[in-house]
Amino acid sequence: MIAKTVCKLCLTCLFALPVSNMAAEADFAGRWMVSLQDQKRTLVGLLELERSEDGWTAYLEGGPAQVEIDGNHIVVIADSRDVRGFVFDRKLVGLLENDAMSGTYQQVGSAAQKEAPGPWHAEREVVVAAVDTTPKPVDITGMWTATQELDFRKYTMALTPAGKEWLENYLPYYDQPDVRCTSIGLPAIATYSFPFEIIGSENRLTMIYEYSSKVRRIWLDGRQANKFMPPSRMGHSNGRWEGSTLIIDTTLLDKTVRDFRGELISENARIEERYSLSEDGNTLSAVLTVFDPDNYARPPVRRRRWVRKADTEIFPYTCDPDSFYLTMYEDGEMDMYIERTDQRF
Amino acid sequence: MRQAGYIDRARFAAPLLLAMTFCIFLTRPALSHHSFTAEFTAEKTATLTGTVTQVWFRNPHVRYLFAVTNAEGDEEIWDARGSPVVWLARKGWTKTSIKVGDVVEIYGFLGRDGRKMLSIMTVTLEDGTVFVDRVPE
Repeated sequence: MIAKTVCKLCLTCLFALPVSNMAAEADFAGRWMVSLQDQKRTLVGLLELERSEDGWTAYLEGGPAQVEIDGNHIVVIADSRDVRGFVFDRKLVGLLENDAMSGTYQQVGSAAQKEAPGPWHAEREVVVAAVDTTPKPVDITGMWTATQELDFRKYTMALTPAGKEWLENYLPYYDQPDVRCTSIGLPAIATYSFPFEIIGSENRLTMIYEYSSKVRRIWLDGRQANKFMPPSRMGHSNGRWEGSTLIIDTTLLDKTVRDFRGELISENARIEERYSLSEDGNTLSAVLTVFDPDNYARPPVRRRRWVRKADTEIFPYTCDPDSFYLTMYEDGEMDMYIERTDQRF
Repeated sequence: MRQAGYIDRARFAAPLLLAMTFCIFLTRPALSHHSFTAEFTAEKTATLTGTVTQVWFRNPHVRYLFAVTNAEGDEEIWDARGSPVVWLARKGWTKTSIKVGDVVEIYGFLGRDGRKMLSIMTVTLEDGTVFVDRVPE
């Protein structure tokens, strides 16, 4: 009798629990804007939660993250890489209530940039379709200093088999363009913490970046690149105003690597940047998306915010690769470097 | 006999090939240990005092060589790496801030695999001046 009752109970649990869990968990599915407040920084990112047959999958800024969901409890673990190149995890533990998530996060693993545990929250992404797409350009010219409002600097991204193969053969440092004074270019340069200047002309905007002293032109007249123009790390950029948002599409990109804020770029890649200005005209925000199906199963997303400051200066960036080659020579790595010439771009 | 010898060689060929394949696979991680990001360890920091023997104040990375006397009384040359010049210069850390012959105390992340390298966090001069290398994200 007792055994029968227990069995009945078990069966009830077996059928009832997953159903009730599923009902509650289903609320997590969707696109969420997550933000967390470090002592000095505000990190913002898009968290996509999807339900599959095996459970839940999560992507932060287009990169896979670990997720565990139980009832209205959620744990997300996403890796990141700090400015010195150390990879660590952020663990976000929280609750879903009233269609919003909130909780606490902590850094897991060693990093140069120590983050104190703090709060995080997430709201569903609101996509406001522009009611009026009539161009209403705003003045974004000037000198811009990066703030500490940026994306999560997600490290592991959703690479395609081709992207993974590249990563397996990639040798950090030796294959990185910056170390031999060749700019890594877009997308890294557009979201680095170095200041930049925007100059306006009749048919274009010109961006001058402190990092690598690089210059790019954003054509506003819809022109196509000269058919003989070779691909470059800054590519060919066309800009258009949708309302007061500047949307820049960049193609004709030269291949580059995924290292130090760079993303793996094939020659078929397209980068979209969306720039918007605050109402007071003093804060500029950018969301950058890399569309490169050759290398990414999901597009990586990066964000940055800048402020106008009267004292912003752009320093010269001269670069001499001598110390790179000298050290390599001293370490006896010169032969290895030369043998890898074909691997670098 | 010749036939047996041939068979023996064949018997050795498979494990040898396997071993060689392992070697090839092992070479890759070994190489990647020399990468800049993998050259330093986030887990270990050190503070070393020594005399500057060479200054390289240029992009892409600032580099100081300095001589440190180890516990055995022997002199070792350590390689300290800093951030791009623009960030340091902006805060007043210039080419002449730290000179050859200066006695410095350098605090930073240690090189991996016993490499005598430091990723600079701070450099303290004898007069107490402290230079902080903290590039914003």
